[in-house]
Formats: sequence, C-alpha cells, structure tokens
Amino acid sequence: MKTWVDLQTDSFLDANARQRAIGLVDEGSFTELAGPMDRLQSPHLPLLGEAVEFDDGIVTGVGLIAKRAVFIASQEGRFIGGAVGEVHGAKMVATLKLALDSYEKMKKDNPSLPDNRGPVAVISFETGGVRLHESNAGLLAHAEVVDQIQKCRGKVPVIAVIGSKVGCFGGMGFVAAQTDVSIMSPFGRLGLTGPEVIEQEMGKDEFDSSDRSLVYRTTGGKHKYILGDANYLVEDSIGSFRQKLSEVLSLSQDEINAHRRIGSLRLVENQLNKVRLSITLKPKDSKDVWKYAGNDNPESLVDLSTSDFLSVARRLKFMAANEEV
Amino acid sequence: METLLGQGRAAIDLIIDKDTFVENEVGTLKIEDPDFGPGAVIGTAKLNGETVTVIANDAMVCNPNFPVVYAGIIGMEEAYKMAKAVYHTIEADRGKDTLRPIVLIVDTPGNGPGKQEEIFGMNNATGSYQLALAEARLLGHPIVAIVVGRAISGAFLCHGLQADHILSLGPQFGTMIHVMPISSVARITKLDQEFLENLAKSNPVFAAGPQFFEALGGVEELIDDINSIGQVVTKHVSEVRKLKKDGQPTGPWARGILGFERGGRVMRKKVMEVMNQEFASVADKYLSA
Repeated sequence: MKTWVDLQTDSFLDANARQRAIGLVDEGSFTELAGPMDRLQSPHLPLLGEAVEFDDGIVTGVGLIAKRAVFIASQEGRFIGGAVGEVHGAKMVATLKLALDSYEKMKKDNPSLPDNRGPVAVISFETGGVRLHESNAGLLAHAEVVDQIQKCRGKVPVIAVIGSKVGCFGGMGFVAAQTDVSIMSPFGRLGLTGPEVIEQEMGKDEFDSSDRSLVYRTTGGKHKYILGDANYLVEDSIGSFRQKLSEVLSLSQDEINAHRRIGSLRLVENQLNKVRLSITLKPKDSKDVWKYAGNDNPESLVDLSTSDFLSVARRLKFMAANEEV
Repeated sequence: METLLGQGRAAIDLIIDKDTFVENEVGTLKIEDPDFGPGAVIGTAKLNGETVTVIANDAMVCNPNFPVVYAGIIGMEEAYKMAKAVYHTIEADRGKDTLRPIVLIVDTPGNGPGKQEEIFGMNNATGSYQLALAEARLLGHPIVAIVVGRAISGAFLCHGLQADHILSLGPQFGTMIHVMPISSVARITKLDQEFLENLAKSNPVFAAGPQFFEALGGVEELIDDINSIGQVVTKHVSEVRKLKKDGQPTGPWARGILGFERGGRVMRKKVMEVMNQEFASVADKYLSA
C-alpha cells in the first residue's frame, strides 16, 4: 500500500482512480463514499455475462484541501475503459449534488461564508463516455451530470483534472468542457470522438489512429493548452495536479468564473472565432494551429518537457476570456 | 403521414400555428449567412398563440465548410447556432413574468466526427448548447423536446436530453433513440447479437428504440397520433409551467425519478441514498469552515 507521500511523486498517468482521489487531497483526509464494501455494482453487466466491479469503475468521496471540503469523482479506466453506466453515473451525479447541498447548508448556517471557503467538486476523468452494455442508462446519467454542473455554477467550483490513459471522450468530453476550470498534463487527452472512431467512420485518410504522435497532437494536453481548452498544463505527477488544484481553490468565485471556456453568449462568440479559423486555416494538423498562434517552430514543441513548453508556448488568443488569472 | 424521419421542416409546420415560423430570428438575434450551420434550423413561431423559440434539424442540407456535417448531424456551427438561439431567448425575456417556451424538434444522427472538429473542440460546441438549455430551463423557460426521427447518442444528449419534458413519436413512425444499434454493440462488446436482441426485450438499458427510453424514464410520453403532436407539445408546455410554479422537479433529475417509478433504473436511487447516508455520518469533519 503506497503512502500519501509516495503518491505525490507518482505518475498521474499510471495511478489508479483510488490513488488519484487519495493523493489529490490533503494527507489522510479522504473518505470514500459508496466504496467497494457497499457493493453497489452494475445490475446489468451480469445479464450479459460480464464481470462487475464493486465500485463500478469510479471512486467517489470527500477530502480536504486547506480545510476546504473537496468532493471527488475519479474514474477508473481499467474497468471497461472508465465507461459510464447506471451506477457509475449515479455516483458522479451524487458527488456533485452532495457538494451543492453542502454549499447550501453552509451558506444557510453562515450567510457571510467567504466564496473561497465553500465546497468544491473535482472530477478526475478517465473515460470514453457511455458504457455500451447499459448505454441508455449511461446516456441519461450524462444528462443528469450536465444538469448538476449548471446548478453548481457560481456556487460550487467544478474542476476537471485530465491526465489518465484512456483520456476523456464521448459524452464526458462535453462534461469536461462544461466545468469551471480544467487542468491537464501533456498525457491527458480531451475530445468528443476518439481517434479509433474517427478512423472507423471517416477512413484512415481523415485520421490514422495508429499514429500516436498525431493522436496526442490533436487531443493532448499541449494542444488543449494552446487552444485554451485546458486552463493549466502541469507535470505528470499527482503532486503537480494537487499543487495546481490548491492554487485554484484560493481564488475568488469571480476569478474561477474567468476560467470558463463555455457557458455564456460571450464565450460562444469567442469559440466561434475558432470555428471561423477552422474554415480559413483548414489545418491538416494541430501544428498548423500552433503556428497560427505564434509558435514559429511548432515541431519543436512536441518533445519539450512540460516546464520548457510552458516557458515558450504561445496560446491562441482572440480576446481576454481565455487568459489565465 | 407515416413518418417525419429526415423532415425536420415538415415537423415544424405540423407542430406550430400555421405560417407563423420566422426563421433565423430570436429576440435581437438575426442570422443572415445562409451557409452558417445550415443543418440547424432556429427561429421564432407561435404555438397555440404563444411566442416560442423553435430549434430543429434539417437533414436535407450539407454544411459547405465541414464535410462530415450532413443529414442532420450537429457540427460545430450548428451547435453554436443552437446555443445562440437559446441565449437570445433568455435575453429576450429577461425580467419578464412569463418566459417563452423552447421547442426542440429532434432528428439528428450524431455530432461531427472529423479531424477539424477534434482539433477545434467539437465537445465545446455541443457542451455550450447543453449548458445554454440547462440555464434556460433552470431560469424557468419551459423546454419541450419531441423526437420525430433520429435521436442518437451524443447528439440527443445535446439536442433533447436537457429539456424539461421529452416526447417521442412511437416506434411505428420510424423514430430511433439509442446510443448504438444492437449490431454495433455486439461487435464492440464481442457479445452474440441474437443473445443481445433477445435480452433487449426484457432489459431496456441497452435496447434501441423510443419505447425502451420510455421504460427508463428517459421519455415522458410516446405519441401514437402523428396529427396530434402540436396539441401534445402544447399540453406539455402547460404541464411543465405548472410543475415549475409548484416547485416540482422537471428535466434530467425528474427523469431519474421517473426511471425508478417505471422500474427501468432502480440502482440510481439506492446509490444516492447510500452516498447521502455515508456523507451525513462524516459531514461535521468536512463542513466546519
């Protein structure tokens, strides 16, 4: 059993969902809710002759960062690719709802609660979206997560952390975009349609999913950072993610809001700048966008360490909305 | 009329008051570029005499700038166009006592699955539209979705599943609601197709069809008389208004409750109860700030 101190220097990419949940909050502060002992497993998988997990592939619970309650949902890619079924989805919905209910309670008890002392919610994404074995229930759960995220806005900061093997795709790609703040490592991947699916639907000419470098350039953390979809890019260690998380948690609600990528008419107009750029630039590769953003030698960014990348990379800018606070 | 599949514009005419649809205008919004997100049809109309925002799909057009976007697919432009229609609906009624309804007419096979879409963030586009709908719903606009053709996976998630109430023409009209057809599920999960098809009759969680979504609480009502759809949408607008006025739940959360009542999703409730109970026993340690 790894200690919390070990976890801080461990690779986030290699860590399992429980290690991420434990390591992202202060030492010894994590309490798992609806853990494996409760055996809340999928009732649908056994009917298909498939194995179950007692946590249904998601670790949910609550911890503290600097005495502030942090509600966490951490997806496990080793179990059916972190896919969302009925139980898995309900655990994520309940995590967000507990954070919001806790906020309402604290606010009622203390109307002058400072806006950076209330609960926060963190989702550590590792998923391809809906679990096909129980797809209808999984889809409906996604809609409930979106509903909770909107309900949390302006009250409970919701933060996405993305740096695990499976990436964050399918319906959960929408959800990650809808959070207040997103933190990625260069190994994190974020999108809607995964590389294999694009290749299958549109052909190898459109997208060669076996080209790992292409895959990372298109949906990986560095590209998402340049594009503004990732607010922050951090090294691949649990401690680096935790450090960034604690910095974000010291911000006021207004400062958190300034991190949003979508969620208002103004931000829609900003995103439409990118759509227009897509039409005029017609990039063959993400590197064309990096160059447009002011990186004269985009190829050189591919293999840079995270810290070197951060010191030289220029980000796509149309207006102030995506600027770091 | 046997089906409205692929005929989003005909569906608009069938639902709203005769000759009242003004396309590309919502509040102060006027969309003048005919090539901007042509697969998304937005505008303002009257429904039973009341001003409503209409958002639908047009399966007959292609987006000239995005080759993967055709046949009702929601691409980046389409999703942002739909989101703008919602935000302008909110702005048009801000501060008013009665908020106009939004009617979503659903016939979409998916989101744009291309490289441009991934490079620039298809997820942001459809994510925007969902958040806009959720915001409008929580502000009090009644939102009623009606599935007239295809309501597939992520495209249904953005265009439909954030509504207060969801209606669907019955399966006899060729409507389809699913994430993936059983043949594809069989291929990806490596399970036998015939076995899955048999199981689908008793277990609606992975079966394809509006009747299965109804059993899961994912669709409030199936419609069997195609000529009544305007009246049924109007009825649900009134019901949603009343529910909201009475503080009763609508939308995704209410469909979770409905899924339990209809016996289609029974674990969801248990999971939430366990998490609430377990947190209550440790809450003092975490909420002392």
